[in-house]
Amino acid sequence: MKKENMRLEAVNGVFGISLTVNGVKRNFAVKNNEFLLNALRRYGYKGAKKGCDTGDCGSCTVIFNGKPALACLIPAFTAHGAEITTIEGVGTVQNPHPLQESFVEAGAVQCGFCIPGMILSSKHLLDVNPSPSEDDIKKYLDGNLCRCTGYVKQIQAVKMAAKKMKKA
Amino acid sequence: MEKNDFKVVNKRALKMDSLGLACGEPVFTDDVDINGMLYGRILWSPYAHARITKIDTKEAEKVPGVKAVLTYKNVPRVPHTTAGQGYPEPSPYDTYILDNKVRFVGDRVAAVAAETPEAADAALKLIKTEYAILPAVFDTFEAMKDGAPVIHDEKDAKNIPDAGHNIAAKFEFEVKNGEWFKDADFVIEHSYKMPYLQHCAIEPHIVITSFDPFGRLVIRTSTQVPFHVRRIVAQALKLPVKKIRVIKPRIGGGFGSKQEVLLEDIAAALSLKTGKPVKIEYTRRETFISSRTRHPSTVRLKTGFKKDGTITDAEMDIVLNTGAYGSHALTVMMCSGSHTIPFYKVKNNIKFLGRSVYTNLPVAGAYRGYGATQGFFAWESQMDIMAAKIGMDPVEFRKMNYIRLGEGSPVFKAMGEGREGVEQVITSIGLYEGIEKGLKAINWHAKKEKNKGGKGMLRRGLGMACMMQGSGIPEVDMASATIKMNEDGSFNLMVGAADLGTGSDTILAQIAAEVLGVKAEDFIVYSSDTDLTPFDVGAYASSTTFISGNAVKKTAEKVREMIIAVAAKILDRKKEDLRLEGGKVIAGDGAACGLSEVANTSLYYYDQHQIIASASHYAHTSPPPFAANFAEVEVDTGTGKIKILDYVSCVDCGTAINPELAEGQNDGAVLNGIGHTLSEELEFSSNGTPLNASFRRYKIFNTLDMPPIKTFLIPTFEPNGPFGAKSVSEIGINGPLPAVANAVYDAVGVRLFDSPFTPEKVLAAIKKAGKK
Amino acid sequence: MNNIKYCSFPVTPKAALAELLSRGNEALAVAGGTLAAKTLSETTVNFVDLKNLPLNYIKMRGPDLVIGAMATFDDIDNSKLVGSWAGGVISTAAARCSSQLIRNMATIGGNIARPHSFNIFPAVLLGLDAKVKILCKTGVKTRAFADIYLADFKFRPGRDCLILEVIIPGKTGNWTCRFEKFAKTEASWEAYLTLFMAAEIDGGSVKEIRVTVGALSPKPFRARGAEKALGGAKLSAGVIGAAVLELERDLDVVRASEFKKEASASLFRRFLEVL
Repeated sequence: MKKENMRLEAVNGVFGISLTVNGVKRNFAVKNNEFLLNALRRYGYKGAKKGCDTGDCGSCTVIFNGKPALACLIPAFTAHGAEITTIEGVGTVQNPHPLQESFVEAGAVQCGFCIPGMILSSKHLLDVNPSPSEDDIKKYLDGNLCRCTGYVKQIQAVKMAAKKMKKA
Repeated sequence: MEKNDFKVVNKRALKMDSLGLACGEPVFTDDVDINGMLYGRILWSPYAHARITKIDTKEAEKVPGVKAVLTYKNVPRVPHTTAGQGYPEPSPYDTYILDNKVRFVGDRVAAVAAETPEAADAALKLIKTEYAILPAVFDTFEAMKDGAPVIHDEKDAKNIPDAGHNIAAKFEFEVKNGEWFKDADFVIEHSYKMPYLQHCAIEPHIVITSFDPFGRLVIRTSTQVPFHVRRIVAQALKLPVKKIRVIKPRIGGGFGSKQEVLLEDIAAALSLKTGKPVKIEYTRRETFISSRTRHPSTVRLKTGFKKDGTITDAEMDIVLNTGAYGSHALTVMMCSGSHTIPFYKVKNNIKFLGRSVYTNLPVAGAYRGYGATQGFFAWESQMDIMAAKIGMDPVEFRKMNYIRLGEGSPVFKAMGEGREGVEQVITSIGLYEGIEKGLKAINWHAKKEKNKGGKGMLRRGLGMACMMQGSGIPEVDMASATIKMNEDGSFNLMVGAADLGTGSDTILAQIAAEVLGVKAEDFIVYSSDTDLTPFDVGAYASSTTFISGNAVKKTAEKVREMIIAVAAKILDRKKEDLRLEGGKVIAGDGAACGLSEVANTSLYYYDQHQIIASASHYAHTSPPPFAANFAEVEVDTGTGKIKILDYVSCVDCGTAINPELAEGQNDGAVLNGIGHTLSEELEFSSNGTPLNASFRRYKIFNTLDMPPIKTFLIPTFEPNGPFGAKSVSEIGINGPLPAVANAVYDAVGVRLFDSPFTPEKVLAAIKKAGKK
Repeated sequence: MNNIKYCSFPVTPKAALAELLSRGNEALAVAGGTLAAKTLSETTVNFVDLKNLPLNYIKMRGPDLVIGAMATFDDIDNSKLVGSWAGGVISTAAARCSSQLIRNMATIGGNIARPHSFNIFPAVLLGLDAKVKILCKTGVKTRAFADIYLADFKFRPGRDCLILEVIIPGKTGNWTCRFEKFAKTEASWEAYLTLFMAAEIDGGSVKEIRVTVGALSPKPFRARGAEKALGGAKLSAGVIGAAVLELERDLDVVRASEFKKEASASLFRRFLEVL
């Protein structure tokens, strides 16, 4: 828990904030009416998507101070001091995370728009529960909407990843 | 080629773009940063029907950062259709970039481009408008009456059959063999209704228009139809086609909502006015209201049948609500009949009467299923009602009557999609196997036994539905491809075909790889760029595998000939003696050379030329995929809630080029259909204002809502398809409504005619039927 | 949000309240922000982010269960302590909120700070006779939840006072409870209705009974008629039938539709039949 009361002041409606994204300390200049999703995308983290901007579809999911959260509902200036992981911090094409590999192998990626959010939610699930049941998986992903896959292969992908990660 | 010999098609192949997508690579329309880009915003009509009597943009133009404000006064007025269809489009030309009349809450009034979204929004607020409000009409039957408000009273609209009665499209077709219902032992008539439904692709509509260094307009857009976009934008803005380039990056789903020119025209107009790049992205709310929807429908089906199970007469009357503009009005309506009526043999008389009617509500367009969804809800429910009336098992009743291999139907010739169809017979069908597989997979007979005499508040039931779709539009849809060869034996495959997440890039590479004896990974696929890829109508009508696939196969065959010609020289063998296998060219006696040797020879050493070929394909038939769907439900008679316990969907799509991708497509289509069945509907106030235009209130299913879904692919071989393939993408969405309706009847003896089957409707129906 | 000039991250409730009451301009304290963030008014100048307050505890204090205002729905759902209380009904209610992503962010304090028909916890807290501890300028006060949420409370949480914790009285720990959220889909924020039902049975008779109804009106209410029909009664088919009818009459007061009355009746009957 933090020990000091922090306070920020905006200049001409712009806050300067410091935060850690994917392990890297960043300084963002964010407008007072801007949400974290927008700020992240402006600063190059295009993996978080704007599907609805009302917190109902999950395509903007990021890990925020340790838990998957909806970046479109977080005023950007409140991310001052926060630790954030985006999909770019999970793995890359050159060095993918077992979850990313599993989604590919299970045929769980169709249009791909919901996938970063799905993977971040799944990653947190497997981090806190390495052997989730199918019901656990469904509950944990219930905020990530997909219209392409019917979720069938995505659930299989998470199970596949759980197996892979346990072996490792 | 024996189907058992496949090396690449019908085998596992990872979707090429999956890993990049799973790693969040910036490949969608919005994932680029363009210097100097302006933000476009649209002013929407607050009224369902009104004339703009005054529109003053002076104050709006003064807002700092605002670079352009457009109204009907300063854009070209060219009547056109927004429907992404082949030219000449079989839809009314009743849309204008901006008009002096608004026809639904959410219709365009004006557009602004500004340096920041805030400036654009501020400008929208300062546009001064005055309206003369007109009476509005929201019900299709009211709209057709004499004296109803005329929604398209403008003089320059084209191709509207009866604007005075708000009829955007109509079609009639009859086969008469004697007196109607003369041979029938029973005649029943029912009406089936579906409401406004929205595609809910997770990526909202978005476009970025800009200029290249040569002053050409470049449209980067989330679209299913890049070539139609280019042509229709050219038409609406009076630009030459050669001045426009359309590029489709990765798109976040479409399902038909992006088979439309929705934003490209207005963004292009703003770019032309300002000389700058312009981005317009729909909010989720705008996507619900101002993009496209499914056509709400009322199907009246009157069928005559005999005690022995013969269907003697069928009269199908469909009224579709096309909303304020007639995009896809004719074609969806015709497909509701052309995809359904031929499915069962009707002995004597057939009649189809279809009308698409304008109302002052959001615009309907293309949506997966495309009329067949509405049609099969009616037909497959009615099949069960007929079977019950004569005491016949509903499975046997269907088996007795569905169309067989080699059989045709007068409907195929009479009704195509927007025009006369094409005579055809069924050249592949795996429906019997699909039915048997499904019955087994859901444990139909055992469960039916178990459910007999169900007591208690929770009642279980089973239902099924059978259906077909099409594979492209015969003699209309055309696709083409280009393949060129590289030094290392890899190939570039350029196709106009639009991959909307379906994986078409991958399956087209698989088809080419099968011909050329290499792996799918040996292809670098580039698609959907009107400058660099050859023509393709786009991703709709379930045409990509069947039509684009055949174009790719033809192209690969031409390339194979060129490779063999070079290899014949290298190996000093006769061309007829050579085959392509495993990345090599191999002679009958085993002499072989690698493809890279062929490539290097052709590029550098001898008779230098680029091995490259193009080919096109259009089809003379549209071989239907077939499906049998089975649902097990539990109805809570205390609350009305329907729970789907199990759902099985068996699909015959010919050869599945990529079985996993085909399954995934069907899984998604089925869950979408289940959403239609149990949850989805757009609601409106009494003055036409949408009430639930958000994911908060229009609920699509999540992981907790999804029932167990199992897709089985039933292999058949379609001789007209590439390696036996047919289409797969749409058919799955048509099953849930009738299958669940039939299962609910089995469970509680109550028939539902009106989707979605909300708990409120179920309880009311149970009460009405006195079934408590 | 265009007028927000200050954002503070206080680490004690006292500091948070000082932020709210100082500066003489519009301040708003926000916890998870899942509903509040998108509905901030233009008059807000001083945004007080409560995420650093040490208020996410869940513990026993004497016989009572105490949940800090900043405990998230996910914290509550996963807490073994909450899961063992009154048949885990508070966890069940937490799990029925929207989606995992919302549950990771939304707090119990935020769920009771501003009345809304579809807030999940109010019907439960009303039925459990919960108390709420707040910090206002005159100090720490403990009030019945009903007084803070249902009646006109003189302080406005998040504006001039701070919710510190929710106290569930020890007597409810062994009640038989059920929470039903009847909605179109699992993730529906809007529900057709929510029902919280609690009973303590002693020797076949109903010693304690609570029936609260949510989602039908801006604030939940106790179904007094249903409660009266059951209080002290010996459970029988006749008593159950009468109580269900009383519930329907209670729902008539808020003009509930036939459908909602019938569904409520079915859900209530099912609860009573397993007691």
